[in-house]
Amino acid sequence: MSFRQRAASALNDASLQEALTIATTKFIELRREAFDGFPQGERLRDRARQIKEATLQQLDHYVERLVDNVERLGGHAHYAVTAEEARDIVLEIAKRGGARMAVKTKSMATEEIELNEALTRAGITPVETDLGEYIIQLAHEKPSHIIAPAIHKTKGQVAQLFARELKREVAADAEVLTRIARAELRDKFLRAEVGITGANFAVADTGTVVLVTNEGNGRMVTSLPRVHIAVMGVEKVVPSMTDLMIFLAILAKSATGQKLSVYTTLVQGPRRPGELEGPDEFHLVLLDNGRIKQLAGPLREALSCLRCGACLNVCPVYRQIGGHAYGYTYPGPIGILLTAMLHGQESVKELAHASSLCGACADACPVRIDIPRMLIELRQGGVESKTAPWAERVVFKTLGRLLTRPALYRLSARLARLFQRPFVRDGAIRRLPLFFGHWTRTRDLPPVAAPTFSERWAELERES
Amino acid sequence: MTRQEFLARIRGEMRKTSGLFAASVAERPAHPQRIADTLRRELSERWPETLEVFRREFERVGGIFYRVPSLAEVPEVVGALARERGARRVIAWHPSALRADLSGPLMAQDLETHLMPPGGLPEAERHGLRAHIAEADLGLTGVDLAVAETGTLVLVSGAGRPRSTALLPPYHVAVFDRTALVESLQQLGVVLESWHEGQPPVGRGGAIHFITGPSRTADIELTLTRGVHGPKEVHAIFVDAPFVG
Repeated sequence: MSFRQRAASALNDASLQEALTIATTKFIELRREAFDGFPQGERLRDRARQIKEATLQQLDHYVERLVDNVERLGGHAHYAVTAEEARDIVLEIAKRGGARMAVKTKSMATEEIELNEALTRAGITPVETDLGEYIIQLAHEKPSHIIAPAIHKTKGQVAQLFARELKREVAADAEVLTRIARAELRDKFLRAEVGITGANFAVADTGTVVLVTNEGNGRMVTSLPRVHIAVMGVEKVVPSMTDLMIFLAILAKSATGQKLSVYTTLVQGPRRPGELEGPDEFHLVLLDNGRIKQLAGPLREALSCLRCGACLNVCPVYRQIGGHAYGYTYPGPIGILLTAMLHGQESVKELAHASSLCGACADACPVRIDIPRMLIELRQGGVESKTAPWAERVVFKTLGRLLTRPALYRLSARLARLFQRPFVRDGAIRRLPLFFGHWTRTRDLPPVAAPTFSERWAELERES
Repeated sequence: MTRQEFLARIRGEMRKTSGLFAASVAERPAHPQRIADTLRRELSERWPETLEVFRREFERVGGIFYRVPSLAEVPEVVGALARERGARRVIAWHPSALRADLSGPLMAQDLETHLMPPGGLPEAERHGLRAHIAEADLGLTGVDLAVAETGTLVLVSGAGRPRSTALLPPYHVAVFDRTALVESLQQLGVVLESWHEGQPPVGRGGAIHFITGPSRTADIELTLTRGVHGPKEVHAIFVDAPFVG
């Protein structure tokens, strides 16, 4: 299915439309309230961006420092250039530990490398423990939002999934469903040999991996199983605890409107002498998967992303079509950029146009990533590499010629006025023939005015 | 891939970057412990205001706050809240970690109280103990820091203070005094820097937990629901007479 088809079916899905409107509206409101009551927020957003940029400028130094400290604390670091390498590393560690079940926290990095499928093939049962992820795992779906993966499901649909899994009647009530998940997953936390997490940050100075969760599953997964494996995009490193605090001050506010998420867990290597709990082994898998190339690439700015999801909630396109229509792990405006980063520019030739370029995403981004600028560049790249459709390239090239030649432009305006006549209805061109029809299917085109601006201008000059 | 190859890969791309804007990371205190000491002195002069902000924010995130004159009143508070909720089995940090031995008075409140061991245990016993913690109704802990700005309790894991004391039981009760109070996340950063200056003290564990209210989710239709995996309720008892020191 093409993006266009997926988007069309999302638009026709009434329950999805309702869920999206409720959720994104609520998220926007919560975020606004959080920043309204936090006057220093704007300054901290600038600081956070500066820190990200400064860290990227010396990424080798900070990664080396992080790894030194993780190893000093008794942890192990691993390096994966591709998704496949990352999967192999995790599988090898898990198998060596004799694992049959792995409990997981919500992690976009492990979604990105399709770890669950690989674990299953290797005979290890992956168990998603974030409630939203647990729901979509039961439904065999992918997350539709970076921080609220089951945002597209109604409680009735969740109850049906639970009923099918547990083979008993389940009430369609959020409280009841949450209680059932608690009981089901509690047992798995206590039994699993391996815990797998992502990482929101890693502090180079202290070798600390930082996990932010609301449910407490992050604490379970890092405290109970014998082995803890954290999979982290290499760009997530921050220099110091002082830097970390600046990010924590804006992350939850941007994501859910909380001042802090309920649990911020700072993991510093495996269990220490005298401690009763915590893993025997701690492994940090540093993931490249297209990121490192962007240090000098056109998507460099996207390496500052905190994965808060704020740009999804405000995006007029995401709010209409939801996450699945994008067709890749990362949805929404930032998702298009991350998809291009992971799978190449060719993969987003359609998606690069799934934006009105209204700029709401850049305004909402806690680190002020200029997403529209990069989307425009991706579109331009599509034209230059000739991956954009033939008709589109010809039309825009012709338009470009006209716009730079005034005499030709005036002539064509007069001609257009003549030829547009049959298509103008109620002051707008609503449907064009041939392949031009693609353009007018979702937009109205203003007709060429009579007289045109330049004609009127000339007239005014004569009058004065 | 080896560490050297991976770093070389990063350096190779870094060399190609051009036109970077000037940016700096946050300035770290040069002598964190000294700065943290100064901060604590300053804070000790205005703790009542800090406590008031903490109470407001802690309650805002769904925490339940109590204030008692001395440690002697703590078991009564714990006993009352446990009875109200039908909780009987209590697990508590070891007295060396809690800075108080409340097991006697808690037993007197008809609470079946188990103190966590002061240090590590052999593998088999560790697992037995975990099963025990998993069955407890209430976990009693101390608090290393209480952050007023966000209503956050900071608990460091370590000897005598197992991670799941404040995680597996449905009710978490934390006892603290004015020495734990800081005003802001920024100050929390200062203290964290000071904790990481030099070698960690013996008995310090491998995890630091910031806890901001009870476990919650909004994953089903954005309906706020408490007590997903962690505690359903978090109680903080502030003791006026300092006992932590």
